[in-house]
Amino acid sequence: MKKIIALLFLPLAWSCQPPDDTVKLLDELVVSTNYDTDISFDSYTTYSMATDTIGFVSNKSPNDTIITQRESDYPRPVLEKVQTNLAARGYNRVDSDEDPDLRINVYVVNDFNLFQEIVYSNYYYPSYYGYGYGYGSYYGYPYVNTYATNTGSLVIEILDLRNITPDKKVKVIWSAYMGDVYSTIDLIKQSQEAIDQAFVQSPYLDRQ
Amino acid sequence: MKTVLVILITFCYTASQAQDNYFYLNWDVTSPLTNKEWIGTTATRGAKLGFRKFIGSERKFSVGGDINWSYLREYKPKETFQQPGGAITTDYFNDIFNFGVAASGQYYFPLGEREHFFPYAGLGLGAGRNTYSVSYNIYQDQESSWGFLARPEAGILVRISQRRKLGAMAAIHYDYLTSKSESYDYNNFSAIGFQLGIMLMQW
Repeated sequence: MKKIIALLFLPLAWSCQPPDDTVKLLDELVVSTNYDTDISFDSYTTYSMATDTIGFVSNKSPNDTIITQRESDYPRPVLEKVQTNLAARGYNRVDSDEDPDLRINVYVVNDFNLFQEIVYSNYYYPSYYGYGYGYGSYYGYPYVNTYATNTGSLVIEILDLRNITPDKKVKVIWSAYMGDVYSTIDLIKQSQEAIDQAFVQSPYLDRQ
Repeated sequence: MKTVLVILITFCYTASQAQDNYFYLNWDVTSPLTNKEWIGTTATRGAKLGFRKFIGSERKFSVGGDINWSYLREYKPKETFQQPGGAITTDYFNDIFNFGVAASGQYYFPLGEREHFFPYAGLGLGAGRNTYSVSYNIYQDQESSWGFLARPEAGILVRISQRRKLGAMAAIHYDYLTSKSESYDYNNFSAIGFQLGIMLMQW
């Protein structure tokens, strides 16, 4: 009888849900890009951005707001990859005080539930990193993103500094979300590949 | 799920102690026929267990009930999906977890002296639930729905020896389930399958 019971459980064990092939899915980040379809990206020429610091937004560690190259080897290769792609599209980096057309914000969001929202046009949020205190940003287009808790996303935003509203709102005209950066196999390599992919799937982002 | 299985096995074993019936547990291989672009691969992870009781002393008809489940999974290489105002790029898995509960009736064809081989044809009717999910990186989107289940089936029971209560069972079946998924473009779900397993018979 024991043999029969054992025989019974063999197919039962095999018929259980197969384990997730996590390595296969985690070796590349999901890359989601959104843009304002009313914008002509070829009308902009210059941009400014940080070179060794990226923002950090976390509801777990609310006091941490930036990641510097001094404390992590993550910012510089990420920022350099963004600059390389922007240069390839014909945009020139200038200092913040040289009246740039665009501002590039790069930050990591940790468990911030950004992916839980449907964001509609003209949705405002306070500026927590990047372009100046006292300014806010807003998206000029609706978008939907899937969420998962305890996640981290690398975010790149392009802000339009040419058209700041009278009440000092700065429009986000392009954004890229790349995740999950907390479940990577090779964080820097995958982040760089994801940044390349963000530009590949955004051919409109070009001066020429 | 484990508790349900233990209860069902206990129930079926207890029920099989009555006269002229059998309990069976089959390994189920399922191949989808609907929306094969979403999932077209054959699933080897599936099972069906059930209990059937003969009506009459000639054992020409039986009625019973069963539950079945199967996991279908297909990997999709990296792809870029364009959408208004943006795009998303990822590789992903499409999954369907198919679960069904059915009441069924069978007719057994005469073959030889009706001692070892019992070919049959039958029909099961019941309810089924499909859970459609897409997994990419650590994220997952999911949609589930119940539907009406119809399952014609043909198979054969093989009694190993007159002295033993253990037998083998093989069957082919066609499943039609009205489970829908708007997100993944399913108006219904159909599949063909092959089952192979063992049975505990009481006659």
